[in-house]
Amino acid sequence: MTKRKMLAAEEDIANRVVEMAKRKGSTVFQTVNDILEQALRADGMGLTLDEILERRGMLERAREVGLTFTPERLLYEVVDVAYGRSRKRLSQMWLEAGRWYGKFFAGRSEDGVGAFEEAMGLLTFGSSEFALEEERGAIAVACVGERFSPGFTEVFSLFIEGAFEAFGYRRVAREVSKGIIHLRFEGSG
Amino acid sequence: MEGGPQDTKLLVLPSRLVERLRASAARRGLSLSNYAVEALEQALRAEAMGAPLRDAVDLYLLGEVQRGAGAVQLPRSSLERLVVELYPEMGEELRGAWSEAGRWYGAYLRAKLRGADILAFLERALLVSWNLDEAEVRDKGGAVALRLTSFVLSLESTELLLSYVSGAMDSLGYDETGRDIMRGMARARYVRKRVR
Repeated sequence: MTKRKMLAAEEDIANRVVEMAKRKGSTVFQTVNDILEQALRADGMGLTLDEILERRGMLERAREVGLTFTPERLLYEVVDVAYGRSRKRLSQMWLEAGRWYGKFFAGRSEDGVGAFEEAMGLLTFGSSEFALEEERGAIAVACVGERFSPGFTEVFSLFIEGAFEAFGYRRVAREVSKGIIHLRFEGSG
Repeated sequence: MEGGPQDTKLLVLPSRLVERLRASAARRGLSLSNYAVEALEQALRAEAMGAPLRDAVDLYLLGEVQRGAGAVQLPRSSLERLVVELYPEMGEELRGAWSEAGRWYGAYLRAKLRGADILAFLERALLVSWNLDEAEVRDKGGAVALRLTSFVLSLESTELLLSYVSGAMDSLGYDETGRDIMRGMARARYVRKRVR
């Protein structure tokens, strides 16, 4: 027979776990086992369950705002081809896409810029860095992506610019080179 | 479950699990009880968010595999518009590029998920990563039926998605034997390649 060990848990938590087991149609023993197995899985990845839930939440939010995973290689290849063929048209397209997203976030939250910053964090999660700094009515945006292609860097800077236009900002400084975007905006009102 | 000291209850765990938990708790500088209670609290939080803990861990792993395979997140509309723009003149080239990327992805999955149910992973990855409404990959003794549905994908993107999946299936050892495509819906059939 397997030797069993007892663990003390606060009554409230224990009761809620019992309710959870009932909802799942499982035993308390099996439910607790399953939970702790997941804690060990997370630990095996060097994470806590809290961090796992945080990142799961980020993936869900990314889905909600219409982000999808795309093979990075394909994305840069396609953007560069299109950019080489019709620079003006593609630039306009990404600027408009940015405006659309800007309006989307402005309408979705009182803090449109904050919501956009969070979305950019999701978008660039793991592949690049996005930083936004507000200072006396001006906003400085920095985005660095080591693997960004020249065409993608260009159109992505326009995407960001379009979004800030929709938030009521105008660009006052721009420095863009392969993989590096620095933009500065001021309120246009 | 048994009643314990004031305001606590005792939960039963097998010793085998306890030893692993104790080691894990020690790494984080926690007592076994605190570690276990924290896990229970997170499980309750996950359930309140509508996501069982196991699903959350699975989803996290899936995201990690996708990122490892070189995937980035992007507003769907941006790529969609690009594809529609380029497709009339470059359809064949794009299908080739998507198929090649799929082949690479299939080879990556084979290497990364050795021993795991790769087709089950692929089904989940398609659903979550491509933000589809439905994805089904059914293996019936070496014959695989694939069904993908999205209410927002253009015909062009649907064709490219299928090229990508067929490329992945090729690397996973399957030949395509038939397909039906319409806007936002793709079905394909595959058979396991013969070993020569």
